[in-house]
Amino acid sequence: MRKKVKKANTKKRILAFYGIFLFFIFLLLCRTAYLQIIKGPWLKEQAEEQQMRDSVVSPRRGTIYDRNHKVLAQSASAEMVCIVPVEIKEAGNAEEVAGKLSEILDVDYDTVYAKTQKNSYYEIVKKKVEKDVADQIRGLNLVGIRLDEDTKRYYPGGSFASHVIGFTGADNQGLSGVELACDAELKGISGRIKSAKNANGTDMPYESEQYLDATDGCDVILSIDEVIQHFVENHLETARINNEIAGGAAAIVMNPKTGEILAMSTKPDFDLNSPFKLTDESVLKELEEYKDDEYDEKYSEELNKMWRNKAVVDTYEPGSTFKAVTASAALEEGTSKLTDTFYCSGVKHVSDWDIKCHKTSGHGSEDFVHAVYNSCNPAFIEIGMGLGVKNFTKYFEAFGLTEKTGFDLPGEAVGSSYNAQNMKPIDLATSSFGQGFTITPLQMINAMSAVANGGYLMRPYVIKQVVDSNGNVVKNVEPTVIRQVISEETSKTMRGILEGVVSQGGGKNAYVSGYRIAGKTGTSEKLPRGSNQYIASFVGFAPADDPKIAVLVLLDNPTGAEYYGGMIAAPVVGSIIEDTLRYLGVEPQYSEDEKQSSDINMPELRGKSLEEAQKIITDSGLKYHVVGEGGSIVDQTPKPGISLKNGSVVVLYTTEGVPMQTVTVPDLTGLSAADCNVVLNGSGLNFKIAGPGKSDVANNAHAVKQEPAAGTEVEEGSIVYVEFRYASVE
Amino acid sequence: MAKVRKKTRRMKRGGIDMALFCTLMIMLAFGLIMVFSASSPSAYYNNGDQFYYIKKQLIWMLLGFVAMYFFAVIDINIIKKYAGPFCAVTLVLMLLVPIIGVSSNGAKRWLGVGPITFQPSEIAKFALILYLSKRLAQMSPKRLQTFKEGIFPLLFIVILFAGAMILQDHLSAAIVTFVTMMILLVAGGVNIAQLGFVGITGIACLVPFAFLKAYRLKRLMAFVNPFAYVKDIGWQIVQGLYAIGSGGLFGRGLGQSRQKFLYVPEAHNDYIYAILCEELGFIGALIVAVLFVVFLTRCVKLALATPDKFMSLTVFGISTLITLQYVINIGVVTSSLPNTGMQLPFFSAGGSSLVFLMSAMGIVFNISRYSKKEKGLTSGDKDAA
Repeated sequence: MRKKVKKANTKKRILAFYGIFLFFIFLLLCRTAYLQIIKGPWLKEQAEEQQMRDSVVSPRRGTIYDRNHKVLAQSASAEMVCIVPVEIKEAGNAEEVAGKLSEILDVDYDTVYAKTQKNSYYEIVKKKVEKDVADQIRGLNLVGIRLDEDTKRYYPGGSFASHVIGFTGADNQGLSGVELACDAELKGISGRIKSAKNANGTDMPYESEQYLDATDGCDVILSIDEVIQHFVENHLETARINNEIAGGAAAIVMNPKTGEILAMSTKPDFDLNSPFKLTDESVLKELEEYKDDEYDEKYSEELNKMWRNKAVVDTYEPGSTFKAVTASAALEEGTSKLTDTFYCSGVKHVSDWDIKCHKTSGHGSEDFVHAVYNSCNPAFIEIGMGLGVKNFTKYFEAFGLTEKTGFDLPGEAVGSSYNAQNMKPIDLATSSFGQGFTITPLQMINAMSAVANGGYLMRPYVIKQVVDSNGNVVKNVEPTVIRQVISEETSKTMRGILEGVVSQGGGKNAYVSGYRIAGKTGTSEKLPRGSNQYIASFVGFAPADDPKIAVLVLLDNPTGAEYYGGMIAAPVVGSIIEDTLRYLGVEPQYSEDEKQSSDINMPELRGKSLEEAQKIITDSGLKYHVVGEGGSIVDQTPKPGISLKNGSVVVLYTTEGVPMQTVTVPDLTGLSAADCNVVLNGSGLNFKIAGPGKSDVANNAHAVKQEPAAGTEVEEGSIVYVEFRYASVE
Repeated sequence: MAKVRKKTRRMKRGGIDMALFCTLMIMLAFGLIMVFSASSPSAYYNNGDQFYYIKKQLIWMLLGFVAMYFFAVIDINIIKKYAGPFCAVTLVLMLLVPIIGVSSNGAKRWLGVGPITFQPSEIAKFALILYLSKRLAQMSPKRLQTFKEGIFPLLFIVILFAGAMILQDHLSAAIVTFVTMMILLVAGGVNIAQLGFVGITGIACLVPFAFLKAYRLKRLMAFVNPFAYVKDIGWQIVQGLYAIGSGGLFGRGLGQSRQKFLYVPEAHNDYIYAILCEELGFIGALIVAVLFVVFLTRCVKLALATPDKFMSLTVFGISTLITLQYVINIGVVTSSLPNTGMQLPFFSAGGSSLVFLMSAMGIVFNISRYSKKEKGLTSGDKDAA
């Protein structure tokens, strides 16, 4: 009996445990259900987040072209050097990897080494590595190094048009210029590859790769003409160096009828392929005295300075160039007539102030046209006073000088100026000749274009067209007229007057024979007054009867011998206009005088008989000097193809091996063209005015530079190039 | 002693419990499929052959079938007779582990030569069940109620075994052995009050051991908030939870687990349940639960139906051990219990442990042939009554 009880006891106990087990199994099933059904979605999301690795497929950044589809900026494939710290740890080659990479990639050893020690999936060592360098790394065959696809921006022109084109940053994002302005269009849309990865980060063998193709960026076509840009850059850089420009130089060439910018340059420039490197050695020297953080700060300050597109983001007092605007307003409004006469005593008294003319002895009596030719301040004060504050400010605004032009590059500035409410008579007086307010060079040339093109203020632009990667035009920029400021009639009158400024007035240094150039010089003292720092500028357009280009050249703080705009800026504009018009196919039209003094093309005489050669030379109006005893020409100086002035001397060699006749180049400084010709021909040398197309200069211009320099021994018959300047104080 | 042998010898042996056998076959087949699915990525990435684990598993399972057959047909009295010496041998083997053992995964728990290794603790668990069942069956109910003569010697042996397991740093085995034996003692008829007292004392002694190793405390912290330690100690738990959660109701589909791609450590072993949940969803988890419930039910039924106390307790002990392992494994994988190494019986890829498991099942089948079912054929029960 007792035994039976015990047996039942065992059974009961077993059943009790059975119940407990069932209870626990049920509980755990509930727990599983909770995890799968209730928490499931969240856990699944977390799981997939770690399983799915997203990789970005970079789109190709669009190309930037000039108006003739010359490449200005282009993306090419490059590589990105990465390391996989886990693999390096396993292989134990951290020192070797860091050593080789820092050596080949020119990166800091410690930085690379620190990356090898990180606890991450992979670390980028250097982006935008070129293929040959990448191949070098590939050749190392080191464990733990990976090379990924990347793109790199190339600027074939280097520093060419650097301030316009702009550059990109580490992630190929536009940081300045067109690269920034058109970043959205250029960059395209990144593609993505979403793929399942195992915990080691390699692909799972199946399923769920999602591709989202990258859309390449659009190409941007600029209104810049690469050739014109080259002319501008060359002439501007030469002027900057020759005149020891301390504050930088800027130039703009635009189509006055459309507002298209054909060229825009700021000097000194920088290399777009390494935009974060300061290149100006004097600046680098200045920075040497700073250390660490302060150095970095100064360095980036200088970088920002270097990147400034002076033509757009800097403001200045336009000085006398502005007189074109004042004159236009006065003629349009009828407050001045061409027949008006002014008397300049050299000083003008305006509300307790004496305002001096640049010609302190005074211009005397002069009509409206000569007031412009002479750039006479007292006359312009009168013209301005005649206009009155209301009209002056009205036109000031109408010419777009109080607002941004709407230019499509970033950073456009607006200067400060008076309005109808706060402009006092003295302000009106100075404003009339371009002082007391500031504008940007772009505003100035835009206003000048309006004066020249029939009175229409245009919106200046540099971005002409955006074309997508399939060649479809996404955006096409048409010229935009902001408003008509002056009448066609007034504009025509002004063109004539401004042409006269170059042909007869203070802008003669811009003159180029064969082309009708109009323009206005300007020199303004930088603020604060008395600093003896000036801004020399010239704004012109050509041809004067039907303007195809407007050109502005600004030289900030010339520290050379001259600082007047008419002296140093005008010739730059002249050179730019000449080159550009020739390039644009505008035929030079020579006046009768110019034709007479036109140059003679040196004929090929070698191989000809002496008699024949002598006849050719005499017929073409040249002179000759025979060296040697022979009967035929074996050599000649100058060589054929060079154009020479009437009466130049040709040395004819008739015997082989005769020593060259040499002469010493005389000093021509200060001489007029005619005198130069006489002196040189007298020494058996030939004379040529420097600069293409500058075939003639009036006798009041004087030689400022010669090549070869005085005292050089040269072959008889050689050409001496002489550069002339008209004396100009404005 | 002679009387008992005589009695059992008189008992006629019937067929094995087919329902239990079918359940076991389903579990083994199911387990094999899951091992293949869960192990193929790590086998592929780590061993270069996605069949690496499943091949091994198949070989072990074949050995397991041989062992199971052997233990199913052998005279149960032989097993009973040698339970004592068998137990002693396993204890010696366990004590040898720290001296001549082989390390794997940083723990020295294996004995063996070359590719054939085994954990003595895996055998010891079953040996102890046999020995305790035998002793419990031998003891008179009166003696069972005494402390000194009844409970103490049995408990002493249990603690000796658990201690040996702790000595080789195999806490999970110690716990599961200790709990199983406690249950077996209770079912065997010891005084619950006495056992409770001693048991609690025993647990109190074991607890300090649990935290002797620094990693155990960390594991406990990881258990409290696994997501805070996802980078190291919480990694396995979190990855397991991700897998379970990814399954939802119906799962990603067989073979479609993503977490098995090196995310879940021991995906084919301790954490096979997580992969199963991911691929087959809650439905899969439910099927596993049903299989274990059917298994346990059949075993309990068998234990209740078996006339012999030794056989009854042996079956119950074995099924308790297996169920307990199932509960602890699911508890760990679902982060309901602190992380400890515990295989899912019949499912986890386990090598030698599968052989021992199947051997134990062989004993169960052996005993099932003496079941009360065939009442007409056995008279033993009547005699006993």
